[in-house]
Amino acid sequence: MILNGVEIRDTFAEAFPMVGTRLIVTADTPEWALTAGRTTTGFATSVIGCGCEAGIERVLAPEETPDGRPGVSLLIFAMDFKQLKTVVPLRLGQCVLTCPTTACYAGIETGKRVPLAKTIRYFADGHQISKKIGDGKGAGMRFWRLPVMEGEFVCDEDTGSVDGVGGGNFLILARSRAAALKAAEAAVAAMGTVGGVILPFPGGVVRSGSKVGSKYKGLFASTNDAYCPTLRGTRPSALPPEVGSVLEIVIDGVSFEAVSEATRVGITAVCALGAEGGVVAVDAGNYGGNLGPFHFKLREIMKDSAGGAA
Amino acid sequence: MSGVSLKPRAPFEARVDFSGITPAVTCPLTLRELEHLPVPHGARSVKLAELFFIESAPEGVLLIEGGDERLDGVGAGMLEGELIVDGPVGAWAGRGMGGGVLRIAGDAGDFLGAELSGGRIELAGKAGAHAGGASSGSRRGMSGGVLKIGGSAGPRAAERQRGGLLLVAGDAGEGLATDMIAGTVSVGGAVGPLAGRGMKRGTIFLREVPALPAGFVDTGAHELIALRLIARRVPELAEVLAGWTLARRIVGDTLLGGQGEVLAPE
Repeated sequence: MILNGVEIRDTFAEAFPMVGTRLIVTADTPEWALTAGRTTTGFATSVIGCGCEAGIERVLAPEETPDGRPGVSLLIFAMDFKQLKTVVPLRLGQCVLTCPTTACYAGIETGKRVPLAKTIRYFADGHQISKKIGDGKGAGMRFWRLPVMEGEFVCDEDTGSVDGVGGGNFLILARSRAAALKAAEAAVAAMGTVGGVILPFPGGVVRSGSKVGSKYKGLFASTNDAYCPTLRGTRPSALPPEVGSVLEIVIDGVSFEAVSEATRVGITAVCALGAEGGVVAVDAGNYGGNLGPFHFKLREIMKDSAGGAA
Repeated sequence: MSGVSLKPRAPFEARVDFSGITPAVTCPLTLRELEHLPVPHGARSVKLAELFFIESAPEGVLLIEGGDERLDGVGAGMLEGELIVDGPVGAWAGRGMGGGVLRIAGDAGDFLGAELSGGRIELAGKAGAHAGGASSGSRRGMSGGVLKIGGSAGPRAAERQRGGLLLVAGDAGEGLATDMIAGTVSVGGAVGPLAGRGMKRGTIFLREVPALPAGFVDTGAHELIALRLIARRVPELAEVLAGWTLARRIVGDTLLGGQGEVLAPE
């Protein structure tokens, strides 16, 4: 399949089940909400080394948030629920509680409960105030007020969780580093419009895609040498001679459909730049299909965009 | 019958205990079964048909036309459905309710919504003493649900309240929220003396700060994010909190180690 001169390789991205949750963080200004969001989702690029994968799903207008202030929606994913229950209160306590003017609310009503203030309320040393008002029985109805030096930190007791998908991906094979970066930036910008997904790596882009295993004991992952341009010819390579740089976009989402849609939107943006923009091909990372139950077949996802080209 | 309408045949000669006669009880019964339903009336028990004309009403609804000040325990123990009284009721209305909706168009006697744990009570008129409070000898008052009083509330409203929301549009009598354990109270009008005495936790929203017992400490005026949240999450309090930017927070009853709070707009 060729789209605007860009080859869509006949392969698939292999993804894994993850457990995820959503937090709504608000603040007095959009800037402080973003600061809290970026801090909370920092050092959360890969479960391999960070314990979770997290990102800002989108920026929220005041009318979309529980307290009418500017906010951000954050998604945090872990490999299992136990790990999720560990990492979320840690990040909440260190990055949201500490951030000026913020409050934190449940972003998912259903599913197993992930503790928020239920855990960190003890910071208030007995001065915490619980509130459960009205006859609603929905999630987030109980919240806590924690006196802090700045005033009060308001936080829902817990949030829901969802069985999500982690590790959706596609690779951008370009003629130069500049062309690969420009295509990746275009993809990230376009994918920001898709709800229910995050791109957990820096700026949404990975420059050091990995393969499973290593020649060194104890390393679970190592550089994806088949896609390293500087190794072409010395190792079995997936890169044609004209490819000078490869960047990867990794996608975590709340559902298979969300990741699939984000993949489609991202590849469409890459292909819009086309061969003229220095993009050679779009590929995907997989492990032969034997490890992850979710397969995102690139050509199937892009078939409606093909417009008869093949 | 899917729904039941009851109309008193005449003003009651003695107090009638309506406890336990809820939509869940009356709606599945046939007209004949309803007519023979026993009701305590003074010192004896009479058939429902001796006191009321019985007709059908919309599905799931128990309607009492006219009401009566001697009709006690209306909606007591109710768990589901809708009970509407088109007039006044006596004492213990909605006592121990766990769900459903009780609407009363007139006034209510003492102990309205005592020990309410869920559901919703809407009273158009004024309430007697101990609204939302604890029954005699009980350790806890209402623990959940919403009790909305359109008029004023008598003495000791919200006494030993443990949770839920009590809204009083008018004034509240002496000893509001005495020994309150937790929960939320809002009073639109004036508040009688000794409000909050013995309060452990909980929140009282007032329009103005009244004279409070000696154990209350003024912490100053604060910009509370929680108020913005409550105004959006709790429709009943949206109007009460509209326009609040700064709230004066008075904490008590500290003489008893309490951390309850009275909040009023600054």
